[in-house]
Amino acid sequence: MIELAAAHSQQLTPGELPAAVRAALGKPLRRAPVLAQLAVLGALACLPADRRQRPTALLWQTTSGPRLETLELLDEVCQGSGEPMPFSFLATVPASAAVQLQPFVPGLRSASMLPLDSEGEGNWRLMLAMAANWLATGRYEQVLCAHLDHWADNLASHWLCLRCTDDGELPLASLRPAGDGDALPLADHPELPAGVAAWLASGELRPLRLLSPATPGLAVEFARP
Amino acid sequence: MTRPVYLAGSGLVCARGCTPAAVADALLAGECAGSWRTLGSRRLPWFALPLADSDWEARAEQAVRRVGKALGPLDPATPLFVASSSFQVGLCESRPPPYELPIANASFSRRLADWLQLAGPRYSFSSACISGFSAIDAARSLIAAGQIDEAVVLGFELANTSTLAGFAALELLSSTAGKPFDRDRDGLVLGEAVAAIRLSATPTQWRIAALRTGLDVWSITGPDPSGAPIAGLFAECLADAGLAAGDIDLLKLQAAGSPGTDLAEANALRTVFGSALPPLLSLKPALGHTLGASGIAELTALLACLDLGAIPATAGFAHPDPEIGLQPTQQLCRQRVRHPLLNLVGFGGGLATLILART
Repeated sequence: MIELAAAHSQQLTPGELPAAVRAALGKPLRRAPVLAQLAVLGALACLPADRRQRPTALLWQTTSGPRLETLELLDEVCQGSGEPMPFSFLATVPASAAVQLQPFVPGLRSASMLPLDSEGEGNWRLMLAMAANWLATGRYEQVLCAHLDHWADNLASHWLCLRCTDDGELPLASLRPAGDGDALPLADHPELPAGVAAWLASGELRPLRLLSPATPGLAVEFARP
Repeated sequence: MTRPVYLAGSGLVCARGCTPAAVADALLAGECAGSWRTLGSRRLPWFALPLADSDWEARAEQAVRRVGKALGPLDPATPLFVASSSFQVGLCESRPPPYELPIANASFSRRLADWLQLAGPRYSFSSACISGFSAIDAARSLIAAGQIDEAVVLGFELANTSTLAGFAALELLSSTAGKPFDRDRDGLVLGEAVAAIRLSATPTQWRIAALRTGLDVWSITGPDPSGAPIAGLFAECLADAGLAAGDIDLLKLQAAGSPGTDLAEANALRTVFGSALPPLLSLKPALGHTLGASGIAELTALLACLDLGAIPATAGFAHPDPEIGLQPTQQLCRQRVRHPLLNLVGFGGGLATLILART
């Protein structure tokens, strides 16, 4: 059974990020791009200390990507001296977030970044399907799925942690292929984990269903354990 | 449900040609000439698409349409998986400042889908140099689980100054040529490519035997010199394929001519394959390092060569490096390859390994 182990959402202003990082780590993450700092904060919020060694994959999507950093780089390269400062360029490589995260989550084995092509839409159905497939085949013990955005006035971080273990711990919910019974609809938008968290808190007994009209095989639902 | 996933078609436009067959002919003929780009006072070797148009968007459209045509008729609902490390950055650079970027990071994927005449779901991947294999991994996962039956995976990387300048600022670029495993290697040579493969649940000549992605967090810009994380991924991938190291009969390496990355990869090869190494091939001295497109471009080029029953020579190698102690293919070799392994070592800590099986 694929289990939901955590649903976590956090909104910050850019000015609040350094304090949030210090509160979580006891130190700043020097030179780490904003998206990498959000990845570390969110992963640590989802994974208790005793689970951070377990084989883990990270799938994270983003609408903004390193947009602000890329605009700065464009100014630096195309209107400046021609070669940027190394850290200006590194900040535009979001894949490097995994390098920042792995020291805090030693079990992290793989990370993929999925930039989105439309505002207000998510690809949670793809990430959840990949996570479920990987867990079902034993490739990883847990998969973190996240949406991270870095805007000028707002930082967004939304997370789901899925796992496939038999340690007897009661999960928040199970994740399964969508059935055809009565269910509450769940929209595939960036803040999906906030909707899942609200459903968990509500006590609602009907499953929460994420449909996939274009690819019906990716439709899933969260159900009470 | 898990089922095998097959390679059912390909398209490729890169420095060596505008179809997989043309690229294979050029590689087997030993062609490796490139061009040059100027960056400030630097003159850097470069591999450009062989397209006459100089407008960035027109070149992109032309290359993508050619690649789409090579894939054959497609159901418009076929899911599209796009791999790129730069998407539309070159297009933004081509316009006068102030620079504008779309709100959605990968909005250019919508344009790519239109050019391919695909109206189904789109998924984009940007994991630096391993983006292509990350996208294949996702598509393969869904096909294997029976959630989709076919997918198109597109690698897209076109010229942009930001990436070139960023790599130059990190002193990662060669000033001469890509020299994999060579004593005098001095860095990467970047290039452009647009490549696509069609994945299917319907059996074809090539099956994906295994694909694994991994991490090497030694540094953002280079792998652990011991090669241990790369070796670990090789072992994981071999286990997933149900193969032993001795079953691999060709290794298509990352081997881009980077002093540190080549050494790490060589150490990983020795760890896993010992002294019984199959032929070692690098395509980057002939195609350039095409970053987010490199996985798919090199896979497509390699299969086109293997379908002709030949392994090309690796360009750029002249002087063995005693520290590496390995040599890539130095002449064309006629050999029927059954289990090639393709390896990527990515900027930003990503690793990816793919094993194919001839059916």
